[in-house]
Amino acid sequence: MIPDQAHIAHIQTFHTVVAVVLPLLAAVINNFIPNKLKITGWISTIAILLSAAFAISVFAAVWNTTAVHTQQLWFTIGATKVYAGVWLNNLSVMMLALVPVIALPVHIYSMAYMKEDERFNRYFTYLSFFCFSMLALVVVDSTILLYAFWELVGFSSYLLIGFWFTRDKAVQANKKAFIMNRIGDVGLLSAVIILFAQYGTFDLVRLFGDNGLVSKSVIENGVWIAPAGQLPAVWQYVAFAGIFLGMAAKSAQFPLHTWLPDAMEGPTSVSALIHAATMVAAGVFLLGRAYPLFTPEELSVFAVIGCFTAFMAASIALTQNDLKRILAYSTISQLGFMVLAMGVGAYASSLFHLATHAFFKCLLFLVAGIVIHEMQHIKHENHLDIDPQNILYMGGLRKKLPLTFISAVIGSLALIGLLFTSGYLSKDGILIQAFEWAEGKAWYFQLVPAGALLTSLLTAFYVSRLIVKVFFGKFRLLNINPDIKLHISDGGWNYKMPLVLLALCSLFPLFSLHPWLYEHAWLYQGFLPANHLERMNVYHTLIPVGVNIFCVIVMYLAYAMYVKRNYVARQNGWLFRLSYNQWYIDAIYNKLFVKGALALSNLLYWFDRTVIDGIVNLLRSITGTLSSLAEWADRYVVNGIIYLITVLVRRTGNLVRLFQGGKLQYYMYSMLAVVLLVFIFKLLIS
Amino acid sequence: MIGLNEFLLLSAALFCIGLYIVVAKRNAIQILIGVELMLNAAILNLVAFGKYDKINNGGQVFALFAIVLAAAVTAVALAIILNVYRQYKTIDPSKINKLGD
Repeated sequence: MIPDQAHIAHIQTFHTVVAVVLPLLAAVINNFIPNKLKITGWISTIAILLSAAFAISVFAAVWNTTAVHTQQLWFTIGATKVYAGVWLNNLSVMMLALVPVIALPVHIYSMAYMKEDERFNRYFTYLSFFCFSMLALVVVDSTILLYAFWELVGFSSYLLIGFWFTRDKAVQANKKAFIMNRIGDVGLLSAVIILFAQYGTFDLVRLFGDNGLVSKSVIENGVWIAPAGQLPAVWQYVAFAGIFLGMAAKSAQFPLHTWLPDAMEGPTSVSALIHAATMVAAGVFLLGRAYPLFTPEELSVFAVIGCFTAFMAASIALTQNDLKRILAYSTISQLGFMVLAMGVGAYASSLFHLATHAFFKCLLFLVAGIVIHEMQHIKHENHLDIDPQNILYMGGLRKKLPLTFISAVIGSLALIGLLFTSGYLSKDGILIQAFEWAEGKAWYFQLVPAGALLTSLLTAFYVSRLIVKVFFGKFRLLNINPDIKLHISDGGWNYKMPLVLLALCSLFPLFSLHPWLYEHAWLYQGFLPANHLERMNVYHTLIPVGVNIFCVIVMYLAYAMYVKRNYVARQNGWLFRLSYNQWYIDAIYNKLFVKGALALSNLLYWFDRTVIDGIVNLLRSITGTLSSLAEWADRYVVNGIIYLITVLVRRTGNLVRLFQGGKLQYYMYSMLAVVLLVFIFKLLIS
Repeated sequence: MIGLNEFLLLSAALFCIGLYIVVAKRNAIQILIGVELMLNAAILNLVAFGKYDKINNGGQVFALFAIVLAAAVTAVALAIILNVYRQYKTIDPSKINKLGD
């Protein structure tokens, strides 16, 4: 008996929900486990393992078949029915599988990495919650739910970045990340509202699906016409700007990227997760979901911003000395590539790069975690006062950490995009399509592919610098203190297994059986539109070859500079300073926004203190005066009258009592007196 | 010749003496005597004015009525004084300051 379509959809939906809810379940359970028990790591890991298994089964079933869309009524407001459900198409199942597959090695690694931390359980609670948010974000089918999980991803990253909240820098970093993400959230929320206003639905499938409402609407003569209604075209631009802001905040694109390098204050395993498959991927994922909304001009904006971000981040990474900070800027740079790819219409390449980048960036962060861990070990053992993340103190670690070294090299080659790695397949695709896109356009559009090309060379340089400084040459701490003994190693299976797993996934066979033709990658083909360009022009051969050759030259250059001659960059050139100070963007933001906000709040504080409080105090003193007046009046006027009355009554009473002495003859006297008085009175008036 | 004025003056004198006795004496019997004096002063007035009504002698008749009434009133008053004495063992009106049974 062959199960029918509805039945399959039902099963896939169920599996998806299980995959999403398992990490949440783990988070809830972990929350109630006392801190002495260290089983939370296992609970979270098993949850993410099962989640990965379910996700892969869903992936296998749905990939390149008809999309599954299941929903049920959530609530009704007036005539608007709001549905909640899951939408599984190629994009979401790819993300659904990617997130737990990346998270699994991170979980295993974390069990060893966070072993000594006294808040081990809370770490895994947060980690599972983070995975849950991201998994839910990629499968939901409604803009409301998308927004909700978008916020949750931001919130859980806030928790994780500030995990070591006793460090002031970590607190600053998570605050910064949160604020930056809030800016993006506001953008996304306004986009959601505008889309609802225009199309009257929150349903992602009806909005962005094949033949959805968005693809049927056009902009003509300044009016945004949809099948069901129309709005001025400016709202379409606002919606675009909102989505752009949301994407820029989550995926760390140019105006809002500064939170990401600071987010390195979190545990390294968290950085691996945030920067690989989860948080930063959300922005690119959002672009993938909302792709039909954008007009060609808006896509150009993405291309330009992506290119600029990629170049800027790569140029900053050239001079940084903090191991994790270099990797953070490289993440920003690679995300710039993805956004650029979205902008030039290389939708498939963008998502393909998202997937490959997830593997090798996670790998590199795990490597960095091991190196930092060992440096910390050396620092404690020898009572040194050094920054364990500074690559200037490292060097020659390849002999001590062989597996880490090999993994790092594989990850770096993939990041550079050399042949036989996954990065080659995805990144060169982007470059080629960027050139194709710019062909026949104005000269300034040529800057985009040129910038991307330059960025890949810069990438080759800074990655080589990183590897050379950390793993080649001599261990530089020995120059300071020759007595240091190195008792370091790759670590246990918790460290080795994730490295091996991710290193294998960073090579080409996972994605394509053909090592140098990216068009053959199955993941790439899964996202291609029906009318994609065939391999038809010279770029497809020239660019990969050229980039590879140049990259190798640049890598050799770096090796020669840093190992053979022990080159030290001139530190006073303005280019160096620009790069070293991260283009002064933090300083500018600090001057412009932080100082501005502080000045504004000081002004408001002053206003509050003097004007508002002044008015309140004035009112208080007026009331005080009035009440003392009233008190005086009460005491002397009201009480006086009452007192007077009592005195009068008492006097009268006393007077009258005189006549009522109970003595007979007094009554006679009084009668006599009254009669006399009457007579006298009568005499007087007559 | 004794005219109306002398009668009225005598009557007024009698009344004043009676009044004085009523307010000043500490004996209920004496007060009663004072009351009688005042009554008689009034009767004297009646008789004196009766001189101007020789046909009907209304003044004299009315005086006779008044004397009879005074006798009755005195009898009643004496009975009251007797009862008061039984009750309070005194007939000094200033000491009789309680109502009671």
